[in-house]
Amino acid sequence: MKLLVTLVWGLLCTVAVQVMAAEDDVLAPPHALYPAPKVTLRWINPGETGGLAAEGSYDNNQGQLGVLNAGGAVTATGHPFFAPLGSNGRACISCHQPQDAMSLSLDSIRRQWQVTQGQDPIFAAVDGANCPHLPQQDPASHSLLLDRGLFRVFLPWPPRDAAGKAIEPEFSIEVVRDPTGCNLHPQHGLHSAQPMVSVYRRPRPAANLKYPTHQNFGVSSFIGKNGLPTARDPDTGKPTSMNLMADARAPSLRAQAADAAATHLQRLAPLTKAQLDAIVAFEGQIYVAQQIDRQAGSLIEPNGPTAFGPRALLKGEAGVLGNNTSRWVFPMEGKWTTLSRGNGAAQDARNAARESIARGHDVFMFRTFWIRDSMHLNSVGLGNPTKRTCATCHGMHMTGMDTANGWMDIGSTNLPWAREAPLNPWTTQKPEMPLFKLTCRNDIAPHPFLGRVIYTQDPGRALISGRCNDIGTIVMQQLRALSARAPYFSNGSAHSLRDVVDFYDRRYNIGYSELEKQDLANFLGAL
Amino acid sequence: MKSLQRGITLLLASVSGAAVAAMPDGAQRNFVACPIVRDTASVPCWLAEYEGELYFLTLQTDVSAPVNPPMLGHKVLVEGRRTDKPRICGGIVLEPVRLSVLPTLDANCNQLLPAEAQYNLTFEPPRPPGPSKGRLAFNTLDVQQAEVAPQRVEKHFSIGYDFEGRVGFKHPALLQPVLDYALAIKATSIDIEGHRGAALLSDGTILNESPQLAQRRAQQVAELLQGAGLIGPRYTVRWIDAATAPNGSDDSPQRRVDITVKP
Ligand code: HEC
Ligand code: HEC
Repeated sequence: MKLLVTLVWGLLCTVAVQVMAAEDDVLAPPHALYPAPKVTLRWINPGETGGLAAEGSYDNNQGQLGVLNAGGAVTATGHPFFAPLGSNGRACISCHQPQDAMSLSLDSIRRQWQVTQGQDPIFAAVDGANCPHLPQQDPASHSLLLDRGLFRVFLPWPPRDAAGKAIEPEFSIEVVRDPTGCNLHPQHGLHSAQPMVSVYRRPRPAANLKYPTHQNFGVSSFIGKNGLPTARDPDTGKPTSMNLMADARAPSLRAQAADAAATHLQRLAPLTKAQLDAIVAFEGQIYVAQQIDRQAGSLIEPNGPTAFGPRALLKGEAGVLGNNTSRWVFPMEGKWTTLSRGNGAAQDARNAARESIARGHDVFMFRTFWIRDSMHLNSVGLGNPTKRTCATCHGMHMTGMDTANGWMDIGSTNLPWAREAPLNPWTTQKPEMPLFKLTCRNDIAPHPFLGRVIYTQDPGRALISGRCNDIGTIVMQQLRALSARAPYFSNGSAHSLRDVVDFYDRRYNIGYSELEKQDLANFLGAL
Repeated sequence: MKSLQRGITLLLASVSGAAVAAMPDGAQRNFVACPIVRDTASVPCWLAEYEGELYFLTLQTDVSAPVNPPMLGHKVLVEGRRTDKPRICGGIVLEPVRLSVLPTLDANCNQLLPAEAQYNLTFEPPRPPGPSKGRLAFNTLDVQQAEVAPQRVEKHFSIGYDFEGRVGFKHPALLQPVLDYALAIKATSIDIEGHRGAALLSDGTILNESPQLAQRRAQQVAELLQGAGLIGPRYTVRWIDAATAPNGSDDSPQRRVDITVKP
């Protein structure tokens, strides 16, 4: 009887999916946590011929994304960013799609699963599954990708320094929970012949990259926040800003591309110099930002604020801090604060939406709250707690990254703040993320906020540095083109911008009003 | 009996007094306490209590502030001089003052007081909320300028620490000149000497830094310079294990690493 019910239910679901597909070409997500999008988009397959126009626009749930190739139209045919250079059919473009702001949205991932019945190379076993040993046809084996947009990032343990020498970690690491089976797997896990730690992370936008790779303010031989030596670009020997990847493990775009080819693309031979040159040149000239807001209309009108649209990013100075007087993090020039009414319902609504964005900007810049127990912010001389704003951490002009090395702990992956499935006898919800217990050695000072024993879903920078103080610190991404690339945070734990705002409200006991929350989310969505 | 007891206490005090040369002088206030945060209409003030009196430590300003606020969740070692300046946020102003966040976590240090109109800051604090206007401690790149090649002479540098402190956010600004100079003169050898200190508190207690700290500090400085690319010179790394006897008025300079860069 039970079997029969399950069978019928399964059939019904299949039918429902097919009907939907026929209707508007949008398919139900395999795990119905988040609503499917209602927009038409353009997915680019590896090896596709054709190219990208100098200026492209792609609809998303919040409006429209603008993509600008500053170097003019790009020919995809044979281009190493677009070509499947490895053994698994993937190209860089697989996970860095223009429609998704050169990242990859959860909506796109789910659509690809449906359209290709799980055959798109993004689902490759190496990192597009919870673990390579799982049955690959089963969506459950890809649940982290399908539910949260996460790829497996596997890193050697203990870490090695730039010269390849093993670093002696300041902590020991134990696997407390292994829902993907990967961290305790005899071949892929922490106790295998080549010990690996698997964490699960979102792709990051491969665009606007002059900002994360800047050589400007805060870049010097010693890391501004802890005094340790700064990673150097292996090609130029210069110190870097250490803002690439969730853990800053890639010192340069070239090093990053070489590594991506070996891991994500499963390419055996190293990329050629010409391939690396072409990839880095392409990445260095592509800019993305939202340009139309569903409610506020065009974000890039001639007399509007200069914060918005991909051209603003092209023009902006890289690697400088915003300040409160002359150069703002996101320059609004005081525009949109009070707009007229009585010009018809449509324009009134548009003006109201613009005012909300302007208010959201002010919430971001000026609404103070107590930032507390956040490693690499409260530990750098501002005191703990410090009464500051979103812009304190997100201070880089135009992107809201940190100009200095950007890894900090806001509790996105460290307990007690990280999103965890509630466990009780009445729920079927199961934890999806791995959980590690890290114990800091007795001969070093304890972590100033978390002590010696720290539970985390992703040790973040500590997997590279081996430092106790880096546990659960994650490099912030650019706060740009967010509407095109949900979900948010490196572990995909916030499914919407409202969810991001709610996280902060809870984390720092901010007490935002409902209006402040809406305004802030609207502002973020317009970036 | 009572007077005899007092006599013994006195005797002990004078013995330990002899060992430490002197008690801190009258204006010196050295103590360990939980810091207290007091919110104001602008930026928060940091305070601490000692023997029933409230002291003003510092304000929240910026990363590059000469005195950085301590942390709730930790005790702070305060080494300061009492002044007659008008009280700030109700606290007697200590100046100069050194604050060292003690490494051990202490959940009892958790006092965050609300703003009160009477504790209005009558001056403009250096920074409004929001990101900084370019006065950051790690602004070392901007300081570097293409200067004329310096004379190739032996040069001494000293790197200071908070009590029990290791290298942190303040050190890039101190290490960078060492690195720059050593590279500029193509140094052939770097001598590093680590020290640890002790602090004489106002109640006569002596706090010693951990026994191995002099060694750790010295070795870490060598590692950092090498890690930053200074691999040419020969390194001599030494440390003085014994902490110099504290006098209660200038104990903080003992917590340091001396570096000699030789051509
Ligand atoms: C299977 C999906 C996938 C493929 C294919 C892929 N990437 Fe990525 N990319 C990621 C993920 C996941 C991250 C973030 C990893 C992390 O944070 O540890 C990332 C990060 C990046 C970043 C860092 C951006 C930033 O601001 O930190 C760049 C640049 C990048 N990828 C470029 C490339 C290039 C070039 C290729 C092709 C050689 C490539 N990627 C192929 C998934 C992919
Ligand atoms: C203590 C420093 C700090 C403060 C304060 C802070 N952030 Fe963040 N923010 C971070 C870090 C670090 C990350 C990266 C975390 C991760 O990916 O796990 C981040 C990530 C984000 C993201 C996700 C970006 C993405 O691409 O996924 C958004 C959006 C964001 N912050 C908005 C805000 C807003 C709005 C505020 C104010 C309420 C704020 N932040 C306050 C440090 C901070």
